Amino acid sequence: MLEGLVSQESLSLNSMDMSVLERLKWVQQQQQQLQQVVSQSSNNSPELLQILQFHGSNNDELLQSSFSQFQMFGSGFGPNYNMGFGPPHEAMDECISRTSSCHMEPVDTIEVLLKTGEENRAIALKNKRKPEVKTREEEKIEKKIKVEAETESSIKGKSNMRNTEASSDTSKETSKGASEIQKLDYIHVRARRGQATDRHSLAERARREKISKKMKYLQDIVPGCNKVTGKAGMLDEIINYVQCLQRQVEFLSMKLAVLNPELELAVEDVSVKQFQAYFTNVAASKQSIMVDVPLFPLDQQGSLDLSAINPNQTTSIEAPSTSWETQSQSLYNTSSLGFQY
Amino acid sequence: MERQIINKRKRVFSLQPNKNPNELFARRYVSHLVPALKKINMNKSSSKTNHQSFEKTVKHEVDMAFALSAQEFAWSRFLQQKLLSSPHDDLISTSSYPSEILERSSKKQGGEKHQDRDEEGGEIKKRLKELQKLLPGGEEMNMEEILSEIGSYIVCLELQMIVLKSIVQDNTS
Repeated sequence: MLEGLVSQESLSLNSMDMSVLERLKWVQQQQQQLQQVVSQSSNNSPELLQILQFHGSNNDELLQSSFSQFQMFGSGFGPNYNMGFGPPHEAMDECISRTSSCHMEPVDTIEVLLKTGEENRAIALKNKRKPEVKTREEEKIEKKIKVEAETESSIKGKSNMRNTEASSDTSKETSKGASEIQKLDYIHVRARRGQATDRHSLAERARREKISKKMKYLQDIVPGCNKVTGKAGMLDEIINYVQCLQRQVEFLSMKLAVLNPELELAVEDVSVKQFQAYFTNVAASKQSIMVDVPLFPLDQQGSLDLSAINPNQTTSIEAPSTSWETQSQSLYNTSSLGFQY
Repeated sequence: MERQIINKRKRVFSLQPNKNPNELFARRYVSHLVPALKKINMNKSSSKTNHQSFEKTVKHEVDMAFALSAQEFAWSRFLQQKLLSSPHDDLISTSSYPSEILERSSKKQGGEKHQDRDEEGGEIKKRLKELQKLLPGGEEMNMEEILSEIGSYIVCLELQMIVLKSIVQDNTS
């Protein structure tokens, strides 16, 4: 029976079409059913309860992995179902070891479940279109880091902002151990416990998250930004870099003006050579960058195909690159493309 | 993929020319700049111009090609407007890049440690103002817009440099 439960519903629910609320309800149902099953059985091993509670508490972000764990759990049950729960200790140990990457939460998980339920509902209601995320646990981790940072009294922009955000966390959250949680692809602004959930502070928090996201992107673009921390330092670096680039352009255009009379320009030749230069210069210094889609909106003439742009795409030049190599130059480093969008 | 050998140089066509935005920008830039430079060349021989105004014209064309090749971005529109409105002969403001700003930022770095703890927001605002001056059209943007536009501006500047370098190298070697 349990196998049937697990296989049917978990398959249907593995698709991400379900909203958070539905998933939550499903997990709650599963838990209730499982708990019924467990209570019906003769043995109530504490490990079982732990696993159940573990699944309950991590339901919001770890749904995928918890589904798979359910399956493992179910399969652990399956063959031993008729034999009672004595022997499955080994199976459960397996399950536990598979889940060992996440810490077990302490026992007051029903409250946590309700709280996450409320939080999820609050989030679902107050979600913005382009949201930014912190999971609860990541907030905890950040809060810990910030508490340390505060004592160092280094007030740089970002940590300062986050300090004020984190200061209103309750002790209940800090008492839970920090568990590692995978980040979903999309991000929400989440109202922490005890923090204002009115529109303004949420909007501000979303705005701040956007800004910090953009700063991170700039950090990747501008070389040398990694060493500097804080908004002001990074902005300094950016300013210097832009000035540097502008000066270089000016210098090159002057040089061009000097050479111009003798220029023999043919567009095709220039494009060929320029792509060579592009590949050699760019590949050395830069790393691939996460795409921030709003930065490259669709061209009005429709020539820019955004759907094809992929953060880790190197295939776009693999086709032409093989033909480049037939040229005399062998300078290419086409394995790592410089700018990627 | 076709390959045609023309004068011992090989021309290569990409199957999907518009896929990579860098390529796209670079190609557009070249297609704008090269004819403009040729035109300048032809005009120069006819009229008598001193070297400085010639430089300015070249610079103007360089900037123009830059602005035209990146039409997707707000800063390019601002740059275009600026270029079109300011007459050729005057010293174009974009060319007098930031010697003042350099001094200012170095001073700021000296005083930064003292101010660190006090005027955090003020520091950031000062820098944002400078950034506004650097970025064409920055005066009219708020902070978020500046940050978004600056990323693309920097990338396009780098690409422009690559193209210019290759053109210059082509003709010096």
